[in-house]
Amino acid sequence: MTTSTFAPRFGRWLAAACLTLGLALPALAADATPPAQQQVQRQQVQPGNNAPVWREARSGEAFFTNNPGNEAGVLIQQGGDAWRHLRNGPVTTYGGWLIVLVALAILAFYKIKGPLTLHDPETGKLIQRFPRYERIIHWTTAGTFIILAVTGLGILFGKHVLIPVIGHSAFGYLMVLGKNVHNYLGPLFAVSVVAMIVVWARDNVWQSIDALWISKAGGLVTGEHVPSGRFNFGEKTWFWIGVTILGLTVAGTGLVLDFPNFGQTRADMQFYTLVHAIAALVMLALSFGHIYMGTIGAKGAYESMKTGYVDETWAREHHEQWYHDVKAGKSGHPQG
Amino acid sequence: MARMKFLCDAERCIECNGCVTACMNEHDMPWGVSRRRVVTINDGVPGERSVSVACMHCSDAPCMAVCPTDCFYKTEEGVVLHNKDACIGCGYCFFACPFGAPQFPNGPAAFGARGKMDKCTFCAGGPEENGSKAEQEKYGRNRLAEGKLPLCAEMCSTKALLAGDAAVVSDIFRERVLRRGKANDVAWGWATAYGKPEQAAPAAKGEAK
Repeated sequence: MTTSTFAPRFGRWLAAACLTLGLALPALAADATPPAQQQVQRQQVQPGNNAPVWREARSGEAFFTNNPGNEAGVLIQQGGDAWRHLRNGPVTTYGGWLIVLVALAILAFYKIKGPLTLHDPETGKLIQRFPRYERIIHWTTAGTFIILAVTGLGILFGKHVLIPVIGHSAFGYLMVLGKNVHNYLGPLFAVSVVAMIVVWARDNVWQSIDALWISKAGGLVTGEHVPSGRFNFGEKTWFWIGVTILGLTVAGTGLVLDFPNFGQTRADMQFYTLVHAIAALVMLALSFGHIYMGTIGAKGAYESMKTGYVDETWAREHHEQWYHDVKAGKSGHPQG
Repeated sequence: MARMKFLCDAERCIECNGCVTACMNEHDMPWGVSRRRVVTINDGVPGERSVSVACMHCSDAPCMAVCPTDCFYKTEEGVVLHNKDACIGCGYCFFACPFGAPQFPNGPAAFGARGKMDKCTFCAGGPEENGSKAEQEKYGRNRLAEGKLPLCAEMCSTKALLAGDAAVVSDIFRERVLRRGKANDVAWGWATAYGKPEQAAPAAKGEAK
């Protein structure tokens, strides 16, 4: 059975291999001749046939031109087409649905489960959770993030969502403002993200108590308060994936796009706009979770970042290990 | 209805940059903005060919597709134009365009402050009233509304650059290619202007055998 099918299979494979080689070899031989020489030879054989030149025109190579512009010598750049289809296709479609569905899922969770509330009454005794400099860094990052997210969404989705509502000219004037705000505020976001990472990295390291949080899924379903350090595992996930990885990606690619005056090619800009858009969309979707927990999702969380203080009951129920550390006169940062 | 097209005959273009200069002068281009450029392939070696290139007024224009403010529009004659009032200078049209047609007055400036995009209008102005002062200042002269074709092609000394209705332009070019003939009776094109007779001769003999 096996031998009888082997022979025709091998024969077909051999034929395919010969065909491939036969097709590839003349092509390789043709490529070895410099294009200029091919053109000279072609002019001898077929005057008026400029096929070698037109092949070069599509190569994306920079040729001679008097125009001093960057890449002015490139006759045809082919990356733009792929960029256009990726940006207008998957990035817009899947990115848009990601944002809408995550927002709807969080809204549904809120409708079904409601906010996390304190089990015990408040003591009225306050304990400091965020010193002033941490709050300044947080709100600078948060404020710039929201403005950048709104203007960025306008750049990607505005023409599908806003133009049908407010029309071309109103949207045009709005986006002149939006694009400038996005471009001038971006570097401030980059600086505050780096500051945030510096300030909070040591409080977001792995602690053995985080395993408990994971095993109980943060108590999100049961409403149970799971003990944790200064930051629980959910916050740590947002810190490392959202703020650090995605934040630095968005900020870094944003700076490349914001300062195109270092000789970036169109291929560079195409690549970085795609990475920027995808990272920003994922970060925005994750931020919905963070914003939810920080506002309507957990009672007392918003006040903690607004005033810097939390009630002792809140501290004990949400961040028990941190509460005991602070009460014991320790720093509140993870020990060892 | 006419469908406007550019065609550059590489057998005729002598890289004089007359089209570039004519365009700059006609539309009072600021420094740094050049709607048209001439690119020479294999410059300085036998077989070199030059092509004058600007906006090609694509049927399925990538600039139109990626513009965040949808500021592009297409005229009945197939000319791709844009509304500078809605342009935010993001540069996306430039990233998408295969031909490098979109230009920015401030160039690749810090904070992406490129200024409003400018490109070849096929000498057809913009959304403002034809021939108005506002149109002239933003987009240059509207020659099409005056019944004239783009100046780059009109000025072309060797008539390498053709502009006009696609059907007419392609008829002219087809006629030329037919008249140029084959190896032994080259009456037109590069070989006539620059080719040495002794170069063409062996090929002719070879064909005779």
